[in-house]
Amino acid sequence: MTTPPRRRLVPAYLATHGRTAAAGTRPLDRLSVLHAAADLPAGLGGEHRQLWELVRPGALTLAEAAAHLRLPVSATVFIAADLAERGALSVRAPIPSAQPVNRDLAERLLSGLRALK
Amino acid sequence: MVEIVLALLAGAALTAGPLLWSARRAAGTARAATRRATEADNRAQGAEARARTAETRAREGEEHARSADARAHAAEARHTLAEARLAAAVREFTHLAHERLPAAATALTHPRTPVPGPLDTTGGNEELHRALDAVLGAALRAALAERERTDAAARAALRGAASKIQALLIQVRSLLEEIQLSVDDPRLLALDFRNELTLRRVQSLAVLSGSWPGMTREDSPLAELCVGAQSRVAGYARIEITNHLREPRLAVAARAAEPVAIALAEILGNATAYSHPETRVVVAIEQGSSGALVVVDDMGVGMEPDQLERAGDLLDGQAEVLLTELGDPPQAGFAVIGLLCRQFGFGCRVEPSPYGGVRAILRLPADLLTLTDPAAPLSALAPRPITQGAPVFDAGDALPTRKRRTPRVPQQDAPSPRTQRQDAPSPLPAPAGTTPDRARSAWSALQSGTAAGRSAADQPASPQGPAAPEGVETP
Repeated sequence: MTTPPRRRLVPAYLATHGRTAAAGTRPLDRLSVLHAAADLPAGLGGEHRQLWELVRPGALTLAEAAAHLRLPVSATVFIAADLAERGALSVRAPIPSAQPVNRDLAERLLSGLRALK
Repeated sequence: MVEIVLALLAGAALTAGPLLWSARRAAGTARAATRRATEADNRAQGAEARARTAETRAREGEEHARSADARAHAAEARHTLAEARLAAAVREFTHLAHERLPAAATALTHPRTPVPGPLDTTGGNEELHRALDAVLGAALRAALAERERTDAAARAALRGAASKIQALLIQVRSLLEEIQLSVDDPRLLALDFRNELTLRRVQSLAVLSGSWPGMTREDSPLAELCVGAQSRVAGYARIEITNHLREPRLAVAARAAEPVAIALAEILGNATAYSHPETRVVVAIEQGSSGALVVVDDMGVGMEPDQLERAGDLLDGQAEVLLTELGDPPQAGFAVIGLLCRQFGFGCRVEPSPYGGVRAILRLPADLLTLTDPAAPLSALAPRPITQGAPVFDAGDALPTRKRRTPRVPQQDAPSPRTQRQDAPSPLPAPAGTTPDRARSAWSALQSGTAAGRSAADQPASPQGPAAPEGVETP
């Protein structure tokens, strides 16, 4: 059984600490992969610690981390960018989706190779 | 002879006849004279009596004349006195109309306005003063009644408008929250913030106008309520909340949850508005033996003693709150908090802060507190109790959960979170596994062991043996 969704008490924008854009120059994407890179630096908030502990065992995409924190991606970006700027997280660009193989080209290549015999 | 005698007799008789008659006549005359004399005597007596009467009357008339003269003098004196009194009364009434009444009317809204008394304070004219005071009292009562009526009308109008706007803003908030899940534009967060600021303004107007705070909540964790209140304040990034709760699930009962959030938002709003934008506002959430406290300190300019007194009256709910009394621009903060305190049974007081500004203390009595369901997770943005270990997220579970791994140390002074997190040892053996939870307890056990070993090596002569790690009391 699930409890009915609670009325929001803590809004996500608190993660921005009043900033209009996340720290750092490289924009983070939903599918950016986060790794814990170094120890947690001092002077950050509890939400930073939570994100850092969340990704420490391995790696998570930003969207997954946001879901675990129950925050919107746009707010999680701010937290992740703070950690990345201090070197506690490394951010990898999203893995590009695989291109489907051009079957026609492959068949022509195969027939060409056979023709070499 | 006989004849002679007879003749003599006859002669005598003849002579005696006239004699007799004249004698009779003389006697009659004498009697009449006597009678007249008596009458004259009587008349003389009457005249004398009349003369005496006239004399008496004359004296009386003289006396009358003298007393009339005196009366005339007295009347003249009274007339002069009356004229003087009339002039004094006119002066008093003019003074009442031009000085005392306007001052008294101003004093209704500004209680510190001096109200002058009557011009003549020597006494001796109590009746006039009583009448003047009665006029003043009647005029003020009429003014008060009229003000009450106007204020009630204004409150009703405000109540209607505020509840409509509030409902719409809450809808906007839900929509924004929904969009935030699918659209990653950070401007949505900024928009959400502006909406929340507007909502807070409308909510405080709704409370002032005497309506329900406008939102029902479930039992809400106190830490979340504090952060929720923080989010409704323009300078929220300057607010630092430290959670000293022994029980992280300590929550405010549903009926008081939103009122407490509103009151805290007003406290934080005051603290940020009246302190320098570069300074912090320090908030501590404390759990006492008979309730919880939220202590808010700012480093601003502070309040004057009379401002503190007025704020204290508003917060106690003693002072009557009228919309017209809130000043221009209206300063509603303390009035809103005081109304909510009175309605929902919590308390608030303000005092000079050791940080230099104002310290506001919100007291939540035990009957407003409860514990939330442990299955309901706390928001990631709510501060964790610093007497607990670090927050834990088990990546293996579908939802993050919190677990207490170290038993609380009683009577422990709150150490700094950093020290506590690094040095708190786990009495449990570190189980195998790679979850952050287990890794952390293993790591902290290793750390505390190393620390203990090092301090023992540094002090070989210490009779107490190895020193306990910092931040933990020796049993």
